[in-house]
Amino acid sequence: MKSLPLEKITRVTTILTIGSLLFALNSFNSMAAAQSKTGVDIDSLGPQVGDAVPRFELSDQNGNLQSLDSILGPNGGMLLFHRSADW
Amino acid sequence: MELQDRLEELQSAGIGVAAISYDSQKTLSNFAERYEISFPLLSDNNSAVISEFGILNTIVQESLGPRAKDPDVTEDVYRFVAAEVMDSQFPQLRRMINGTPFPGTFMLDANGVVASRYFEEFYRERMTTSNVMLKEGIALNPIAAIEGSSAQLNFRAYPSNPVVTNGSRFSIAVDVKPNENMHVYGPGAENMGYQVIKLNMAPSEYVSFESMEYPESEIYHFKPLDEHVPVYQLPFTILQEAVVAASAEKEEQLREINALTLSGELEYQACDDAICYLPVSVPVTFTLEFDHLDYQRAR
Repeated sequence: MKSLPLEKITRVTTILTIGSLLFALNSFNSMAAAQSKTGVDIDSLGPQVGDAVPRFELSDQNGNLQSLDSILGPNGGMLLFHRSADW
Repeated sequence: MELQDRLEELQSAGIGVAAISYDSQKTLSNFAERYEISFPLLSDNNSAVISEFGILNTIVQESLGPRAKDPDVTEDVYRFVAAEVMDSQFPQLRRMINGTPFPGTFMLDANGVVASRYFEEFYRERMTTSNVMLKEGIALNPIAAIEGSSAQLNFRAYPSNPVVTNGSRFSIAVDVKPNENMHVYGPGAENMGYQVIKLNMAPSEYVSFESMEYPESEIYHFKPLDEHVPVYQLPFTILQEAVVAASAEKEEQLREINALTLSGELEYQACDDAICYLPVSVPVTFTLEFDHLDYQRAR
């Protein structure tokens, strides 16, 4: 087996180093953006992309019981969580 | 209400809509009547579903518990709940908010699996429904669109929302349709000396412009120079993310304002298989209605 020329190895190493440095910087940035003082990370809360959301049954404004199935359309749904309609 | 205004477009895209909050059915019924809301507003009165989803705002609880005086808790309440709540003399305000979720939106597929999610990092900011729709590729009927055409392309530029308020996180969309045999440049092409298409918005006192969102480009082989360049040849949409100032100070300044004018330029360069045209810059101006925050409570 032929060994790689030294120059090439150095270059590969440099790229890897820059790559991991960038990665480290990126993850640092996203952590800074997403993490709070008390450790709440909103991006990690609740169902993630690819997860099925919990099933539920709740009454709507007219007193009708609604579930995930009754809400979803043929192409899916938009489910919003609001703080309150009252304030 | 914005979501109600977009309901028809969501329904024609086959997307069902519902909003969940901890309000009582009576509160929701009043709210629905006042704003003529026809989609389901679901009452999760004991926050059971909010908790099961795992998005209960626990910071409010912290601010009522043994760590109430912890500066870290205070800082988080400022960021995720409301400065007014923490500064208030009345702990009942905090108790009232206890049980609310971190506000956000899940886009679900037909089986109830999360396709994408939008949650805010700062309580004063709110992604508009129309912005979510644009990001999801759900067609909007643009209201105040600017149209333009040249020998190389047609474009249509419009804000996701004709009406914004403090903290609205919206988009300016540009639908671009290159003419036949024509292409414009996507991100990455700047390294080869081409002008990537972009919206260059002038700084505004009340609106900050954040990142631009591009769809995936295709690689074009430009034979005369044997270059492989990221381009768009088919119709595509780029989005410029924008946020209306939400600080208390700006809110005060905006009190007397009823409209926001935003101007900038659409910059692009178009080429066909033989000729590269010079970069072009087309001025664009949008006027958005400014709506003041509604502090009225339901009765």
